[in-house]
Amino acid sequence: MSDPITTATANDLSSSVDPDLIATFRDLATAHGPSVRDPESGLDLDLALWSRLEELGLARLTGAEADGGSGATWQESAALLTQLALAGVAAPVGEHDLLAGWLLRRCGVSADARLRTVAVLGAGATEDSDGPDHADHAERADRPDRIARAVPWARDAHSVACLWQERAGWRIADVPADRLRITPGLNLAGEPRDEVTADLASLGDLALPEILSEATLRELDLRAALLRAVQLAAALESCLSLTLDHVSTRVQFGRAISRFQAVQHTLAQVAAETALARAATDAAVRVATRRDAGTTGLDDLAFAVAVARSCAGHAASLVVRRAHQMHGAIGTTLEHPLHRATLAALAWRSEHGSTQHWDAQVAALASAAGGEGLWPLITR
Amino acid sequence: MATTGVGTTLIPDSTTLSGLRAEVRAFLDEAIATGRFVPGVDTWLGGYDPQLTAALAERGWLGMTIPVEYGGHGRTFMERFVVTEELLAAGAPVSAHWIADRQAAPSLLQYGTEAQKQRYLPRITRGELFWAIGMSEPDSGSDLASVRTRGERVEGGWRITGTKVWTSGAHHAHAFFALVRTAPLDPEHRHAGLSRFIVELDSPGVEIRPILSMDGSHHFNEVHLDDVFVADDLVVGAIGDGWAQVTSELSYERSGPERFLSTYRLLAALTERGLGGAETGAYVARLTALHHMSTAVAGGLQQHADVSSAAAVVKVLGTALEGDIADLADRLTEDDPGDGELQDLVRRAVYHRPGFTLRGGTNEVLLGVIARELGLR
Repeated sequence: MSDPITTATANDLSSSVDPDLIATFRDLATAHGPSVRDPESGLDLDLALWSRLEELGLARLTGAEADGGSGATWQESAALLTQLALAGVAAPVGEHDLLAGWLLRRCGVSADARLRTVAVLGAGATEDSDGPDHADHAERADRPDRIARAVPWARDAHSVACLWQERAGWRIADVPADRLRITPGLNLAGEPRDEVTADLASLGDLALPEILSEATLRELDLRAALLRAVQLAAALESCLSLTLDHVSTRVQFGRAISRFQAVQHTLAQVAAETALARAATDAAVRVATRRDAGTTGLDDLAFAVAVARSCAGHAASLVVRRAHQMHGAIGTTLEHPLHRATLAALAWRSEHGSTQHWDAQVAALASAAGGEGLWPLITR
Repeated sequence: MATTGVGTTLIPDSTTLSGLRAEVRAFLDEAIATGRFVPGVDTWLGGYDPQLTAALAERGWLGMTIPVEYGGHGRTFMERFVVTEELLAAGAPVSAHWIADRQAAPSLLQYGTEAQKQRYLPRITRGELFWAIGMSEPDSGSDLASVRTRGERVEGGWRITGTKVWTSGAHHAHAFFALVRTAPLDPEHRHAGLSRFIVELDSPGVEIRPILSMDGSHHFNEVHLDDVFVADDLVVGAIGDGWAQVTSELSYERSGPERFLSTYRLLAALTERGLGGAETGAYVARLTALHHMSTAVAGGLQQHADVSSAAAVVKVLGTALEGDIADLADRLTEDDPGDGELQDLVRRAVYHRPGFTLRGGTNEVLLGVIARELGLR
């Protein structure tokens, strides 16, 4: 993606990622992409790609070098996620590295090479309608069956970092997948989002001694939300580039439709909204990088992620709608590549919090800052 | 610009910038607390307060990017950006010096003669010389190449006749750059034959007439130039080079944080009162993202990059947001002066809203700029 507006606004101050590394990511992603979605069964994990990522040390990009990781930061990881999303490659890099790897490292466990994801187990199988209320879970701590819904890539994971709440607090275990019941499910874009059922009674021997704080759970949630924001920003850039290509080559009334001012203005608005999503997301990635380096607090991360998800979520409304409008009927077909970008954008903006949720989070943080505290919050 | 050189080494580190931010913020907090000014909406255009301008100049916050040899402070665009953001977020009345500092100074530095720089830049930095914009005319809005103000060659200089309009602050300003046709319009080369002159507004033949805005406020003017003599030493750059100068100046006019912060005080007031819920949150998020984008634009200016399309994006999104904040506040409140402070902000925002997406290049024109950058035209 070489849109000059996006790059001019996003990269001037922010990008500290080596361009050669980005080129490596891009070459790898385009060589393996795009992933092909079956409308019924969704997307399959490309095992050849996964092996290649592992060989190159990219599957555990942010893992500590002592643990077999590459010692990189959120910045490099975001660059990799961006290139994968731009090439339409579905892979659980973020779940494996930024979520499961991070969580286990926090608990003093050095994650091995096995593919991992994270499942936050909620209420038991018979408590479907109760929703994710933590206090409620604590009361039911004795019930053995716990369920996590929409767990990304659980079917492909060799091991699942499972979290559940007991009266004492949040517990965690690194559970081999064969000790879990996994029911396949898909998100809007056909990515694996499976239901994971765990029998707590049988996990007792695996539970780590750590009791995790609510703050850790909050940080996990923010990291997951940011992971999706990074993918979403890239998906919007794909929508823009596909649409630019289309309007420049589609001829109607004897000329490329890009010659019409209405089309030009529509594309300009798509580009502007996409650039805004990119700017907000890049800013949040910078904060996440500082957070991992221990130089900023969780509240900073919370605001930056909420801003990114709000901006990117609203951008998706305009970009997806206009991209389809500009493509005409061809863009609505399975055959055409547009849905890989538009459905991914819509899927990702609705995972780990709706756009409305993130708007409300920004409002709550702004309100807590107060009228005089708002500007310091924005410019922090 | 002359002293900043090329490259990235002059981008100040974030500690320097946050220190400067804190310094400006403390000054403004104190000024508000002592009643020196009341924070408002759109005060960079309509809030005239030469005493505040003088106080800011005293602290070195005017002419920041002007080189020291011209009386300036030789600081960076990033530092200036931080100061301007703080002034806007405080809703401070800064219109007296805004145009001089924002666009006249960089234009003079880029195109002015040595004598012109020496004559004007030190006084701009001291907060003593105010500038206005002499581009639009009654029949030339978005289509600036159609200006009809004419310049005729005479002994020792030029005689200029025509009318400039929407000239904010002309009644306080000492000079403007007049965009003038000095050769007949060639339909094949519409941008040729334009030149710029420094017109000192106390010159014989200059008449400034107020144009009141719909709320009764006075910042717009019509400036009539009736055979005004401008000496050769006040020609800016080369005769015939006016178009390039104007487009360059517009990039300074368009790229700053006043393109998303004009209604910031109103957004803060909504937040403080817990009004608007998630919708207010979405606007806070957008404003924050625009702060990041605008920071990147300032960084680009620092590195002498072409920021015109990135600036157009900020302006298109930012000015729409300014208006959306006004509209949200208007939808959330009844027009009943129960909360005087909020009421004042809402009314002023609603009065001023139509101008946000017009001034400095309409959003329609800017979408065209973005489309061109996208390769569509």
